[in-house]
Amino acid sequence: MRSRAQRITYQPGDSVFHRLHPLVKMAWLLFGSVLVFVLRSPWLVVTVVALLVLAFTLAGLRLDRVRGTRLFITTALLLGLLQILFVHGGETLLQIGPLVITVGGLQAAAYVAGRFLSVILLSYLFVLTTEPNDLAHALMRAGVPYRYGFALITALRLVPVFEQEGQTVYHAQLARGVQYDVRSPRRFVTLARQFFLPLLVSALGKVDALAVSMEGRCFGKYPTRTFVREVHATRLDWLAVGLLLAAALAAALLG
Amino acid sequence: MIVIEGLSFRFQGSNRYALRDVSLTIQAGEFLVITGPSGCGKSTLALAIGGYLFRQYDGEAEGAVTVAGIDVRRQPIYDVADLVGLVQQNPEAQFCTLTVHDEVAFGLENRCLPPAEIRERVAWALGIVGAGHLVDRSLAALSGGEKQKVAVAAMMAARPQVLIFDEPTSNLDPTATAEVFKVIEQIRAQAGITVVVIEHKVDYLLPFAPRLVAMDGGRIVHDGLLNTATSRFQRPGIELSAISNEHTPSASQPQQGAPYVRVEDLHVGYDGQPVLPGVSLEVHSGEFVAVMGDNGCGKTTLLYSLLGLIKPDQGLVEVLGQDTRQVPVSHLARQVGFVFQNPDHQLFADSVWAEATLASANFQSLDDVTEARVGELLARCGLGDRRDDHPYRLSYGEKRRLNLISVLAHAPKLVLLDELLIGQDAANATFLLDLLRERVDQGDVVIMVNHAPLATRSYASRLIFMDAGQVVVDAPPELAFEQLAAIGREAYVPHA
Repeated sequence: MRSRAQRITYQPGDSVFHRLHPLVKMAWLLFGSVLVFVLRSPWLVVTVVALLVLAFTLAGLRLDRVRGTRLFITTALLLGLLQILFVHGGETLLQIGPLVITVGGLQAAAYVAGRFLSVILLSYLFVLTTEPNDLAHALMRAGVPYRYGFALITALRLVPVFEQEGQTVYHAQLARGVQYDVRSPRRFVTLARQFFLPLLVSALGKVDALAVSMEGRCFGKYPTRTFVREVHATRLDWLAVGLLLAAALAAALLG
Repeated sequence: MIVIEGLSFRFQGSNRYALRDVSLTIQAGEFLVITGPSGCGKSTLALAIGGYLFRQYDGEAEGAVTVAGIDVRRQPIYDVADLVGLVQQNPEAQFCTLTVHDEVAFGLENRCLPPAEIRERVAWALGIVGAGHLVDRSLAALSGGEKQKVAVAAMMAARPQVLIFDEPTSNLDPTATAEVFKVIEQIRAQAGITVVVIEHKVDYLLPFAPRLVAMDGGRIVHDGLLNTATSRFQRPGIELSAISNEHTPSASQPQQGAPYVRVEDLHVGYDGQPVLPGVSLEVHSGEFVAVMGDNGCGKTTLLYSLLGLIKPDQGLVEVLGQDTRQVPVSHLARQVGFVFQNPDHQLFADSVWAEATLASANFQSLDDVTEARVGELLARCGLGDRRDDHPYRLSYGEKRRLNLISVLAHAPKLVLLDELLIGQDAANATFLLDLLRERVDQGDVVIMVNHAPLATRSYASRLIFMDAGQVVVDAPPELAFEQLAAIGREAYVPHA
């Protein structure tokens, strides 16, 4: 639990990406994910990946410090390799025994690995540069019912709490000699129950306290509520929206 | 302001009344303290005044509760909430948002107040609890005392006429506890509202000379002014104030033989932040060590290190001659017992008996001797006839006793306790501490992290006080208290 790789959560910063309105970023996330699947040139897909890697630098994020990087890069390489080995078409570039590498195979590899990487990188960029609280508020401002918005906020608040409680329960079990290294299905069921029951009981207690706290502050009294927190759209946001529209138009014309 | 008439309440599935025929009138502007042993019904009474008891809990109710003329049993909770604010025990559990400003604004936004008025009220409410400087902070980054201040401000923002505090300091260290009581005093002085405080630690409230109501078994057993003369009512009710001083803790004698615990230059850090920047200490057979200090000072990390749950980044931790880096936790646990902070996080079995014998069964050491010992311990703590009950059916105090028994069952030589006494009334605390003293008298070692100066004075033979990961005081309690007073840590010195 010490000095580990960064978690896949919001990393505070002041880059262009951090300053963008959460909903603008969300629009780009959706647009980008669709785009890489409609692009008809492997070069363009590779360009998108390259741009995204550049975006990480602009956002002041270091990919090698983020948890899971190695896993998704390995997966992408593996996906690409499979395409190269098994998809054949167009000009043959190399043939050694049963190994045939063709232009079609390389193109397929660029498509598959590039799309996979693009979607992952886009999601990472979104999650790592967007303060979840701002996202929840932006969604509520945009018309998402506030009950759902606060469900998201409550979840955000409780996840680290439960993570920590899970750790404590595990420690408490170790301290009482509960053995995790004996493997049998029955043993597994017992262990799972012994682990989750304390967490469940603690969660129920929290729900009671939270219900008193929310109702005691009139949550749900009216169908709407006011918001003091402002999430403003800036010139930067309009620029990003303009770029998005231009890119969409270009993709439609070229595609 | 508040009129309660003949109120009785029984929770569904319980065969016992939580409140029995309670009648109580509280005047506007009055300062009332309600005290009593765990399970006496005081928190239930708080829920009743706020109306929550009748809306959110199933059960059988009789009698009437009115606040400012409003029938709390029938009126929607939102209407009652405009009059009554309830600050709960655990500040963490009552937060609905992620930042201080959002939290204090939450109730006002729900009431659809205009943003300009909300901003003004947020500033006012944070000001009255002395937390104006926290407005832009994230809740997760606050200390326990700061969190509770924000929770109070969040209630005050609605400008209620009655503010109820349900054991607002039970999760806090003595420094933060003193701060929160100061806030309550400020609110009394500035806002002029009716304040009801449910509290074990009434000695903190003595300076305000409030009205004191003591409860037991769901009934009111005393009603009068709180002063030193009424402190006899602290007997059943007040956390540890009642612990007699008849025990004289055994003085630390020059120790012979190998130490039970040897910590040398222990460094532990999380995410690059040092928590223990080089701690060294030795503990010998027959010592009862109290470890105190503000929350976040590294007490729990030290305790975890002694069972090998956290391994040293640098330095050495040797427990009963074993290096914690060399032996697995499950091996150390045979001789080292650990009671964690929250009773609910450490109940795993389906019955009281299975829970008490769980560790022995896991260590394959459940023999006749152990069974006899467990049987005797259960009988002594009043759980003898509840062997087959599910542990989660026990009361809070009973769970705590079971936690301790289930760790003492396999007779560990070293017992580590993380805030065992939180929320325990005097009777329960005395029982737990007496059990521990017996172990110490037989030569075992107890290391107890706690926030109760009186318990430390009456039971410990040595007080270790930590600040920012360092041991700053390490002496027999009486001497240690003098040293603490000298460095401005009066909050940790027992009241005269």
